[in-house]
Amino acid sequence: MLGSLLTLVFVLVFNFVLFRIVETDPVGSLFRGRNIPAERLDELRASFGLDEPLATQFVLYIRETLQLNLGISYQSRQPVWNEIVSRAPATVALVGISAVLSAVIGTLAGIAAAWRRNTWKDHTLTSSTMVFYSMPDFWLGMLLLVGFAVVLGWFPVGGIVDLGSTATGVELLLDQLHHMFLPALTLTLAYLGEYALVTRSSLLDVMGEDYLAVARAKGLRDTIVRNRHALPNALLPVITLVAINLGFVLSGAIAVEAVFSWPGLGKSTADAIRGPDLPMLQGLFLVFSAAVIFFNLLADVAYAWLDPRVDAA
Amino acid sequence: MLRRSMWATGLVILMVVGPMAGAQEEDDTVTLRIGLTQDWDSLNPTAGVLVSEYEVWNLHYATLTDKAAADFETIPGLAESWEGSDDGLTYTYTLREGLLWSDGQPLTADDVAWNINTSRDQGWSNHISTTVNLDAEAVDERTVRITSSVPDPKLPNMDVYLVPRHIWEPVATDAEAIVGYDGLDGVGSGPFTISEFRDQQSVTMVANPNYWGWEGEEPPIDQVIFRFFSNPDAMVAALQQGEIDAAQTIPSGSVEALEGAENIEVVSGLQGGFDEIAINGGAAEGQPHPALADVNVRTAIFHGVDREAVIEDLLFGYAEPLETISPSADPKWIPEIPEDNQFTYDVETANQILDEGGYMDTDGDGIREMPDGTSPLVLRHGVNTNTDQGAAIGELFSGWMAEIGIGVELQALDSDQLFEAIVTGDYDTFYWGWVPFVDPDPMLSYFTEAEIGNYNDANWFDPRYDELYLEQKEELDPDQRVEIVHEMLTIFHDAAVYLPLYMSPDIQAYRTDAFEGWVRQPADVGPVMFSNSSPSYPLLTPVEGDGGALGGIGLPVIIGVVVIVVAVGAFLGMRRRTTADERE
Repeated sequence: MLGSLLTLVFVLVFNFVLFRIVETDPVGSLFRGRNIPAERLDELRASFGLDEPLATQFVLYIRETLQLNLGISYQSRQPVWNEIVSRAPATVALVGISAVLSAVIGTLAGIAAAWRRNTWKDHTLTSSTMVFYSMPDFWLGMLLLVGFAVVLGWFPVGGIVDLGSTATGVELLLDQLHHMFLPALTLTLAYLGEYALVTRSSLLDVMGEDYLAVARAKGLRDTIVRNRHALPNALLPVITLVAINLGFVLSGAIAVEAVFSWPGLGKSTADAIRGPDLPMLQGLFLVFSAAVIFFNLLADVAYAWLDPRVDAA
Repeated sequence: MLRRSMWATGLVILMVVGPMAGAQEEDDTVTLRIGLTQDWDSLNPTAGVLVSEYEVWNLHYATLTDKAAADFETIPGLAESWEGSDDGLTYTYTLREGLLWSDGQPLTADDVAWNINTSRDQGWSNHISTTVNLDAEAVDERTVRITSSVPDPKLPNMDVYLVPRHIWEPVATDAEAIVGYDGLDGVGSGPFTISEFRDQQSVTMVANPNYWGWEGEEPPIDQVIFRFFSNPDAMVAALQQGEIDAAQTIPSGSVEALEGAENIEVVSGLQGGFDEIAINGGAAEGQPHPALADVNVRTAIFHGVDREAVIEDLLFGYAEPLETISPSADPKWIPEIPEDNQFTYDVETANQILDEGGYMDTDGDGIREMPDGTSPLVLRHGVNTNTDQGAAIGELFSGWMAEIGIGVELQALDSDQLFEAIVTGDYDTFYWGWVPFVDPDPMLSYFTEAEIGNYNDANWFDPRYDELYLEQKEELDPDQRVEIVHEMLTIFHDAAVYLPLYMSPDIQAYRTDAFEGWVRQPADVGPVMFSNSSPSYPLLTPVEGDGGALGGIGLPVIIGVVVIVVAVGAFLGMRRRTTADERE
């Protein structure tokens, strides 16, 4: 718990330093190519606080952040917190659903492969999930987009909702799911392999253990041996993997979001880097890091609960 | 058991998602859908600076005077007429009768005067360059008098966005407060006004019943939807499928496919934007290679650049050659450069000039040295990594230079780093581009001494050029001003520090089976949308017939999903009920 907090503080300081190592002029690049009087640019620098010495900027940044004030975005001139909150749901929905789907399907595939190891089923499962895993996710996304949206025309080429439609309620939800299908499929396929491989090797380790022989010797049916005795131990590393991946629920789909014009935090991040929109970057990286730290903390807690050998430190 | 229920859940999700045919509510609303690849930061015209935002404001806000589609000539807008004083400093505009904002409030001379004076006082970034020397006074409801403190050749053109005073006055308390306003009040005076903004997705605009240009007729289009695509290829696909009716910034690689497509018209729209290779003129602190101080060396380098090859091979022919910079969207400002002075691609001439200057390859390594045998001619070339063509041009440039015995060291820099290198002078050449305004003044100002360290990316200046710059700034005779500008640009051309490679087009396309009446601005060469004043929109009418109907996609979707479900299910889920005997 304390460790997590310390990590967060470190991130807070690190973010500030990181974005100031690169010497850039956010105000200049904001108006690149436009004839703005120099006094106006100076005024803007002053209003962004960029004319203050770095030390002062740092103190202000820490003080405001601790009060949960992430500042005003240079690009949109709106509070960073509002920008993040309004864009996060689309990303969380997409990455969250894909993370859960890939965890469930990937784990099941891993179990099937391990239990039938060295059969054609194992080989097919392992190699096919590996193919998707090793393929860059944006490339996989482009292939799916071309196949299912362009050639077959079954799904929209991008966006989150049909813009002309006035649908509400269930119909709106279904429309959104229809738009989400391809990006979610991309992310799910892309992360299946990780789960399948980890589950497979972990289960194979456990299958060599004596206690399984004992379980079988007791005359238990195969499925029960697997589900009650082998799996609970084998799934511990998978829990860690789930926690790590859920940690990236806010930041994990920047490229796939770009392919499918998904209006989430990925586009915001790319734009903010272009500026650089310092308050936006700081805010984004802070919530990204916070999500990772939170889910790791959750994984620690879950471990202590699932595995009696681990002490809740 | 666990396994089976999870599969069931997965199947249910797939089945729910799949058959969704995207709720197609077909009613008789006429909607024009435009695809673009840039989204919106701020729809407040005192804060935003993006092309996507200008397009929305061009529709949302009418201006006092308009610009003709064909040649940017000043034509009546909200003002039906105007009269200038003899000294050219004061113009009196008469507004049309019965003007209303989209919310029904009267639009008066008072609104106009307030906008001009407030934007000047608060330094609104999109207004200030026009209004900085102006003072406006509402004489009566329909008469506004605008006085400039200096002679201003841009008058009587008055194209700044006029925001409704009754909404904006409370938020425009000071320069900082006003930029924080989201600008989504939806009250405008142009043909279409903002009705909905979806961040990173779309801007929907509805026809403004009070727009003066409808002249009592029903607007032919009910709404315009701008749809953002972060993936340009997906945008092209959407256009081909009729999901959108028109699109801009089409990647040149997709042009061929679109040109062959039925019902699609491709437009290569020029608005003066150009790309250039610039040589460090030496006016900044950091100095270029000593050879570049010699105008003959610079001339030789430019003779060694094959611009035709760039247009043909890199841009698929979708660009126009350009000999000197274009300072405006209007081609009339570009001077004719005599053929003898043009930087025609000619390796022989280039080599000859360098030989005559004494820049010989004395050590036989293929690279020329200075006449005294020192400092091999190796140039640091800045590759702008934020541009599409930067890397390719860099490679081409080093190939061309090798032909004339000059070495090139490529330095990959993003726009910010390149800007920094230019300001400090730590480079020899670079590739970048500009997009000028309609009035040539801003572009011309960049190459004056005053802009060294700021916009002057040639790091070059010339006293005669600066003198002429001040002259054109106050020259009220339009023909005379064109002549002065031509002289300036000829001086700049002959200095051989700035080699325009081509005029870069915005490639746009529209469906001919959806809407008709697109106009190009400027005539013949310009784009049909995202132009300076976007004149197309109020002129468009839907094409009779079933313009781009999407057709039912319900059934194929259901079939497709069933196929996927069966395939995935068979693949992962199919497992014989086996027992231990098979396992060991």
